[in-house]
Amino acid sequence: MNRALYAAATGMAAQQQNLDVVADNLANADVIGFKNAQATFAPIGGNALLGTVETGVRPIFQQGKLEKSGGPFDVAIDGAGFFEIERAGEHAYTRAGAFARAADGTLRNADGWSLRGIVIPAGARSVSVASDGRVSVALDGLGARAAGRIQLAAFDAPERLRPLGSAIFGATHGSGRPREIAAGGDRQPKIQFGTLEKSNVSVIESMMAILAAQRAYEADSKCVQAADEMLRIVNNLHRS
Amino acid sequence: MATAMHAAKARLDVAASNLANVSTAGFRRSIARAALRGAGLVTTSVPDVAPGPLRRTGRSFDLAVAGEGAFFVRDRTGRAVAERSASFERDRRGRLVDESGRALLGERGPVVAGADATIDARGVVTVAGYDVATIVVRPGTTLQSGFLEGANVDAVHEMVEVLEAQRAFETAQKTLSAIDDERQKDVDDVGRVKQ
Repeated sequence: MNRALYAAATGMAAQQQNLDVVADNLANADVIGFKNAQATFAPIGGNALLGTVETGVRPIFQQGKLEKSGGPFDVAIDGAGFFEIERAGEHAYTRAGAFARAADGTLRNADGWSLRGIVIPAGARSVSVASDGRVSVALDGLGARAAGRIQLAAFDAPERLRPLGSAIFGATHGSGRPREIAAGGDRQPKIQFGTLEKSNVSVIESMMAILAAQRAYEADSKCVQAADEMLRIVNNLHRS
Repeated sequence: MATAMHAAKARLDVAASNLANVSTAGFRRSIARAALRGAGLVTTSVPDVAPGPLRRTGRSFDLAVAGEGAFFVRDRTGRAVAERSASFERDRRGRLVDESGRALLGERGPVVAGADATIDARGVVTVAGYDVATIVVRPGTTLQSGFLEGANVDAVHEMVEVLEAQRAFETAQKTLSAIDDERQKDVDDVGRVKQ
């Protein structure tokens, strides 16, 4: 009974963690550049009838839908790769491309991370970004001028990136070092200007996952009850 | 009767473990088998190799086999092992390896592919329109990229197992108690001299 009791308890814990991850996905379904996460599980000790254990939570870097937006500096990546962003000397990677021009000319997102390598000079009237990431600005009376090029970063194992915020990731030992890739080439990702990448969370699939997790939790709790009932019977075997 | 109670307990252990792993990708449920041997019931568990349902993950390096068939991975000792579902990642050299570090086998050794590679139903790995490798599969295998095989656990079946185990346990206990009562009677009454 005790083995069943503990195995069922690990199942309940697993479904709880599963539910946490799915709920987080749903909560972020409208966040630009958010990536659906998935909890993975493995049987304890191969399969020694000891239950299950969570082995990690991995983001799924499937392309989100690209949607036209109204922001003046909105960019999105069509293909693999990440924007390189920095804040106070720290580097991070994201696919959320909603930026705004800060007072010092850098392009920053809502959390204050700035897009690496781009400075928009003061007095710029209009900005455009080509599919290869080259940024050009139109200045008063001076015509068009280059303002840097957006570099994309790629990783050997992007699933191993560490989430730093809802759509921001940091490099880890497992993910490997970032490799710079140039956008716009024949076999390369392209940058879309005036566009944002929506989250890749499917609300319907998440709802189904919640239902399944709830039922699995219930089934595990029934096992706990059954094991408990058997223990009660055992305790009543000896009648004095 | 005590061994019957043990057998019922073993059935519950198996059902509880199966139910706990209902969300574990690729999990194979165990079946409790009871056999009458010498001193009583002996229970063993054997794995059920029936395929599980395919679950969509949306990751292009999650591979599953639809219907019959298999693909192959090479383990650390160099042996090729048939698999039906695995979640691959790119390692430092760009090879696709599963969670235990086993490399996916192509026709020209381990498959090396870029992060944006796609895999079609016949196992052809494509990067931006160019074929870069072909995965070795059993003849007639249909691969599904973006899917993993789920656990082959049927919650309804396992719940029935739980109830049956519980009832069997109770039945054994009642029988045990009845036998106990009878013995008690033997001890109390046999040999008592009637007046």
